[in-house]
Amino acid sequence: MKFLVLAYKNLKRRKSRSFLTIGGVAVAVAVLVCLLGFNAGYQKALTSDVDKMGYQVVVTAKGCPYEAATMILNGEAGLKFIDEDIYKQITSDPDIDKITPLLAQLAYDPEKMEGKGGFTNYLGIEESYMPLKPNVEIIKGEWFSANDANEAILGYDAAESEKKSIGDKISIPGKDITLTIVGVFNRTGSQEDGTVFLPLKTTQRIFDIEGKLTGIGIKLKQIEKISEFEDRLYPIASIQVISMSQVKGTILNLVNSAKILIMSVAFIAIFVAIIGVINTILMSVFERTQEIGIMKAIGASRLDIFQLIWMETLIVCTLGGIFGSVIAIFGGNLVEILVRKVMPYTPGGKLLLITPELLLFSFLGVIIVGIISGVYPAFKAASMRPIEVIRSGE
Amino acid sequence: MREWVIKADHLKKEYSSTSQRTVALKEIDIEIKKSEFVSFMGPSGAGKTTFLNLIGCLDKPTSGRLDILGYDPIKLNEEKLSRVRVEKIGFVFEDFFLLSSLNALENVQLPLIFAKNYSDTERPKNLLKRVGLGHRLTHYPNELSGGELQRVAVARALANNPEILLADEPTGNLDSRNAQELFNLFRDLNRKEGVTIVVATHNVKLGFSADRVVHLQDGKIEKDERLAQKGGR
Repeated sequence: MKFLVLAYKNLKRRKSRSFLTIGGVAVAVAVLVCLLGFNAGYQKALTSDVDKMGYQVVVTAKGCPYEAATMILNGEAGLKFIDEDIYKQITSDPDIDKITPLLAQLAYDPEKMEGKGGFTNYLGIEESYMPLKPNVEIIKGEWFSANDANEAILGYDAAESEKKSIGDKISIPGKDITLTIVGVFNRTGSQEDGTVFLPLKTTQRIFDIEGKLTGIGIKLKQIEKISEFEDRLYPIASIQVISMSQVKGTILNLVNSAKILIMSVAFIAIFVAIIGVINTILMSVFERTQEIGIMKAIGASRLDIFQLIWMETLIVCTLGGIFGSVIAIFGGNLVEILVRKVMPYTPGGKLLLITPELLLFSFLGVIIVGIISGVYPAFKAASMRPIEVIRSGE
Repeated sequence: MREWVIKADHLKKEYSSTSQRTVALKEIDIEIKKSEFVSFMGPSGAGKTTFLNLIGCLDKPTSGRLDILGYDPIKLNEEKLSRVRVEKIGFVFEDFFLLSSLNALENVQLPLIFAKNYSDTERPKNLLKRVGLGHRLTHYPNELSGGELQRVAVARALANNPEILLADEPTGNLDSRNAQELFNLFRDLNRKEGVTIVVATHNVKLGFSADRVVHLQDGKIEKDERLAQKGGR
C-alpha cells in the first residue's frame, strides 16, 4: 500500500462529494475540448466549403451581401433576380478568367424525406459551370444534350436519396413537366451534393423567369485585382459584387467573437471547478484534522501529509480530465447537432475536430491546474500540529 | 553507553493562552532505563499526558533538558522530530485513533509507509497475529470491538520496531477484562522483546502491575516506587 492507494481510499470514503467534484472538473474539461475542437473544425470546414465552391467572386442582385453569400454557400444562390444582359455585359471584362451564369430555384416537395416534406434545390447551369468547379465531375452518364433539354443531372446525395439513376424520370412538384436524368455528379462534400442541376434555359422556362439569373460565378485571373474589378461593376446599379474570401473572413470574425464569449464562459467554468476542487479538498482536510494529527503522531512528516493531500487533488483532476475527454468525444456530436440547428450557416463536414493533440493539451492543462490547486490545502494539512489532536482527544 | 533511554532534567511545560498561563509540568527529573515498564499515575490534570507528549516528541518543553535515545527534541526541527517518532517511538492512545477508511492490516502498514519501508511486507501481518488478531486482518475499525481496536493500535505502534512504546490511558475505553489482557500484552512485549514501555493510567490495579510506578500530582513527581513483580526477572 502506498500513498496513492491511501489517497484513493480517502476520496472513496466521501463518494458523492468526490464524484460531484470530479464531475465539475469533467464538465469544464469537456466544454474546453468542445470549444477548441469546434473552433478548429468550423474554420477548416468553412475554408474547404469556400474553396470547393470554385468562385472567388459572385455577382448577385443588390441586397444584404452576407445573406446572399450564405444562400450561395447553401446552394440556393440569391433571392432576387438579375438580368441575363448583365452577364453578357461583364463577360468581356479583361480581368475575368472564368465566368458562369447561375439560376437557383427552390421547390417544396411533400414527398421528400420519406413523406415528411422538404425543399429541393434546383440550379440552372450552362457548360461554363464545369471549368469553375475543378472538383466536380460527372461520374455517371453525360452532360445535357441541349441547352434547353428536359433533362437533369443529380448531385451525388440527391441521386442517392431519391434512388434514381440514368434514364429515370423525375418531376418538379407543382410544375407540369417530366425530366430525364442524364448524369450524376461526384460527391463534393458541399451543399451542392443535394442539388438537382438543370440546363439554364430549361430552368428559366419551367419556373417562368425568362432572361433572369440569380447569380454569376466568377474566377478572376488575379484575385488581387478584385477591387478594380468591383469598381468597374459599381455603375451597374442593380447588382453587387461579393468576394467569397471577404465573406469567409466575415463569417470567421462573427464566429470568433462568439468564440471569445464562449471561451470566457469556459474559463469561468474551469475557474469554478478549481475553486470546487480546492473547497472539497480543504473541507476534507479540516474534517480530518484528527486523522492528520494521528498520522503525524505515528510518524508522518510534513512532506508525507503534503504528498497525501496533493495526491488526492491530483486524482480528482486526473479523473475529471479523463471523464471530461470522454464526454467531449461522445457528447461532441450532440453539440454539433445543436450548433447546426442554431447557426444560420454551417459548412458541410465535421464541425467538431477533436484531435489527440487537443485532448492531450486539455488533459495536461487540467493536471497543471490540479497541481496548483492542491498546494494550498496540502500546505494547510501539513501545517497541522499533532499535539492539538491528542489534546482534544484527552 | 548510556543506561537510560529517557532522561529529563528540570523539565517544565507551560501552556499560555491569551488570558492565562497554565503550568502543566513544574519540575520533572527522571531517568527511564532501557526495557523498563513504567506507569505514570495520578489524577486528571496531574501532567501525565503532557509528559508523554514531551517524551513522544509531539510537543516541546518550555524549559529544562530532555534526552530521548540521545536526541534532544528541543533542538530538532519538525522533520527530524517526525523521523524520531516514526523510527523510535510507538504510540497507543485512549481513543485508539485508528484510521476508519483502512482495515486492520492497512492501519498497521501505515507507519511503514511513513518510514518509507516498503520491503517488510510480512511484519504487519505477523504483528497482528502477535496481538491475537490474525483472523481480523481485513476487518475495518467499525467491525472490531474496543479490545480488538486497541490491540490493532498496539500492533501499529510496534510496526517500525520502536525502542519506546508510549501509551496514554490505553485502557480508558476498555472493560476490565480487555484492560487486563492489554496489560498482559504489554508485560509480554516488555519481557520477551525488551521494549521500553511508558504508560499513563488511572487504573490502579493495572498501574501497579508495572515494574515502576511514578505518581504525579500538580505537575510534580510525588512518589517514584519500584515494585518487585511476582515472577519478575
